[in-house]
Amino acid sequence: MNIEKFIQEFTEQFDDLDTSTFTAETLFKENDEWSSMTALSIIAMVDDSYKVRLTGDDVRNSKTIQDIYDIVLAKSKL
Amino acid sequence: MQLPIHKYGLIFRLVEETDAEFILSLRTDNIHARYLSPTENDLQKQIDWIRKYKKREEKQQEFYFLFADEDNQPVGVVRVYDIQNDTYTNGSWIVKPGCDEFISIKSDLFLADFAANQLENKRCVFDVRKDNKKALRFHRMFSRITGEDEINYYFTIDEADAKRKYEFLTSII
Repeated sequence: MNIEKFIQEFTEQFDDLDTSTFTAETLFKENDEWSSMTALSIIAMVDDSYKVRLTGDDVRNSKTIQDIYDIVLAKSKL
Repeated sequence: MQLPIHKYGLIFRLVEETDAEFILSLRTDNIHARYLSPTENDLQKQIDWIRKYKKREEKQQEFYFLFADEDNQPVGVVRVYDIQNDTYTNGSWIVKPGCDEFISIKSDLFLADFAANQLENKRCVFDVRKDNKKALRFHRMFSRITGEDEINYYFTIDEADAKRKYEFLTSII
């Protein structure tokens, strides 16, 4: 896993937003596009690409893309 | 199924005329209701619509659900309609802005429970706007496209895929 690829896959779940400035430290819920469908898209992407099942609490408790990345990394080692 | 139901940390009940103002506030939100059919910002018309709906509900032709949080504050609505011999449709989904991201998932699970109880042996068919990219991505995971027109893709979901979707959503909340 690498964070650059993860950020790219993460930003692909946003359809209407300019995500060119997204970094690991981006607060990914602090925008108009964030919704339950965005959360589901991210969970589905992680499930598909990393074979890791994120939960609602994982997403609720995360603020930055790095937070999500760290959870995926930890769960992928289980 | 006896309503109201307390499940997934929400309270589900059928819509009443007194919910007209809440529903209107959701459906006239230009951002969050952009994928729903347009609604005129007219409270009396919304009340009249609900009054007519209640007649369809009496005949078990349609069910319009409101879900509230544990403090009984309304947070969203969803509708089951066009109930035929072998199919039904759900839609009109909308959640109050600023609520927990996973409320809509919980309401989807409630609908699955309702369908298993009340709409036994009926297959869900539904449409998704072509420009609603995230919803399309999600529904393509579990459902099959059966057709399209200029505005919508038309989907159906069979029993095995509905079970797979239920298990996926349950594992998230």
